[in-house]
Amino acid sequence: MAVNESDRSFDHPLYETLERFPGLDLATTAVDKVLTWGANNSQWIFPMATSCCGIEFMAAAASLVDLDRMGSITRGSPRQSDLMVVAGTITVKMAPRVKRLWDQMPEPKWCIAMGSCAISGDFYRDIYSVIPGIDVAIPVDVYIPGCPPNPEQLMAGMLRLQEKVNLKRAGLWSPPETRPETGKTIEPAIKRLLQAGRDERITAAQLDQAMSLMLPAVDLPPRPEPEPEPTAEADAGTTEAPAAPATPDGGHHE
Amino acid sequence: MTPVALARAPWPDPYLNVDDYDPEADLMVINLGPQHPSTHGVFRVVLYLDGEIIIKAIPHPGYLHRGVEKLCEKLTYAQITPIVDKNDYVAPMLNEQAVNMAFEKMLGVEVPLRARYMRTILAEIQRVASHLLWLGTFAMDLGGALGGGTSVFMYCFRERESILNLFEDLTGCRFHYNTHTVGGQRHDIPAGWAAKVHQTLEAISQRIPEYETMLEHPIFVRRTKGVGVIDADLALELGLTGPLLRASGVDHDLRRDAPYHIYDQLKDLAVAVESEGDCMARYKVRVKELRESIRIARMLIDNVPEGPISGGRPIKQPGQFKAKGGQVYVGIETPRGELGTYLIAGGGKMGDTPYRLKIRPPSLHALACVPYVFPGHSLSDAVAILGSLDPIMGEVDR
Ligand code: SF4
Repeated sequence: MAVNESDRSFDHPLYETLERFPGLDLATTAVDKVLTWGANNSQWIFPMATSCCGIEFMAAAASLVDLDRMGSITRGSPRQSDLMVVAGTITVKMAPRVKRLWDQMPEPKWCIAMGSCAISGDFYRDIYSVIPGIDVAIPVDVYIPGCPPNPEQLMAGMLRLQEKVNLKRAGLWSPPETRPETGKTIEPAIKRLLQAGRDERITAAQLDQAMSLMLPAVDLPPRPEPEPEPTAEADAGTTEAPAAPATPDGGHHE
Repeated sequence: MTPVALARAPWPDPYLNVDDYDPEADLMVINLGPQHPSTHGVFRVVLYLDGEIIIKAIPHPGYLHRGVEKLCEKLTYAQITPIVDKNDYVAPMLNEQAVNMAFEKMLGVEVPLRARYMRTILAEIQRVASHLLWLGTFAMDLGGALGGGTSVFMYCFRERESILNLFEDLTGCRFHYNTHTVGGQRHDIPAGWAAKVHQTLEAISQRIPEYETMLEHPIFVRRTKGVGVIDADLALELGLTGPLLRASGVDHDLRRDAPYHIYDQLKDLAVAVESEGDCMARYKVRVKELRESIRIARMLIDNVPEGPISGGRPIKQPGQFKAKGGQVYVGIETPRGELGTYLIAGGGKMGDTPYRLKIRPPSLHALACVPYVFPGHSLSDAVAILGSLDPIMGEVDR
């Protein structure tokens, strides 16, 4: 069910330029090392702090644990950050926004799921409005369990992420095999948003309801019928959260 | 509800039709949120701006709706405590107390005196932690005025960390404690805890003047004084409670007016009241409450009587408590105002779950004033006002 991790990280146009010139292509290794070193030691964080875990994230960024010493600064804009920390429960209403903000982050980018809610939905997972883990929408690199995880655990997760980045660049990283007994997922009766095979009428009804809350008298163009709702896809990279033109939506503001 | 007519011209109408607004004006629509560092969670306000002045604000909550009330209908009384912890995640102790007091009232369980003392102390210490977190994030919202704004945040979180250590000693958790049960407490006071409480609270009370000097900065004063005035009529009409109501000049505090725990024995409980109703008044009320809570907690911690910490039988199985029907309402004073729990008993086959559990969150009512207060202020003031309301989205959306 989890989104496949795309391996598009580090596909930098710089490499293509370097490879075009004979002789210069030898420099790619050195450039690569520098880029990896930089990416590893200045993971700027975009905090997707929705609920309680967000408070622990703030505690981690504050004086006692101090994420700053890892070169990690908290940024309020997705365009300036490399690492999204999803801290807190993600609801059906919030998930398209998270996805959109994730799409706005420049490559290479990483994601940490902090807390049981972001991993699996915690005890809210069977509630109608909560998605069972953020990995149904965006690829996750490191999972940090706990309700909430301590700031020290977040720190340990960041170190794991650095290891992973290094291994990935060295070509040594392979996804860990899930044990069959723990790898099984319980499917909810009604398919969740962003999950394949979801009844599109439910999505449409929810969207209509959400859009009807927007009070500005804007003439919405009629929604094209034959096209499938884009949010119903579980595919990473191709999905765009649907938004009617000229209506305000999350993520524009900075 | 009929809209409250405000005397404050020229933009009093929260239901302003934007089409009727001056056609010459340069209107702009801006989204604040749902992911914005200053919204303290996931809260979205659609702002209509004329230049930089807000003419209309439409709040959109619901981005953190987790269906807690529905979830509680499936769980037995003893199982609900850890669930409601997650509502107001800045003051979880008070959430636990609210539901457990409702259950005790419904089931007729007596709480021993020691447990009531402990609850009062925990509530007051939690109030200190909550107000500290508010102070830090509020200073950060105001931003550049205070040396990047993060210095007060760093100091406040340092003190809050020491309070979390106290709770960790008592319950084993930094937050989401699950330390209250129906009829009492789960964890007794460990040895040497009282001395630690004294030490921590003494250190914090010595540092409060430091924050005050930092926040008496002229820029801070100019960004808060006269900004976001909520007058007493509007506050009462919208159901604001807690520091927001007291900052508007209404002398109302459930700890004194409808005492629970052992607050009826505290004859000298000082209730902080300010009359201006602006952001500065809210800040002053909260800082006064900080001092008062520290005083109460330090006064009570020496006088905790000996005895059992839990009344009735120990909880051996989740479905132990049963009630066939009836309804109760319990309201307590949290750092944000009146947290009410309305319980209709008699759910489930055995009557061991609530039929309906309604939580009345103070933050939801605080956010109700957004369409009334935002118009007429500039965009940067909106952030200051929202910060001063201290909303916790976990309990707004539940
Ligand atoms: S994992 Fe626990 S602490 Fe974190 S957001 Fe979920 S309920 Fe809150």
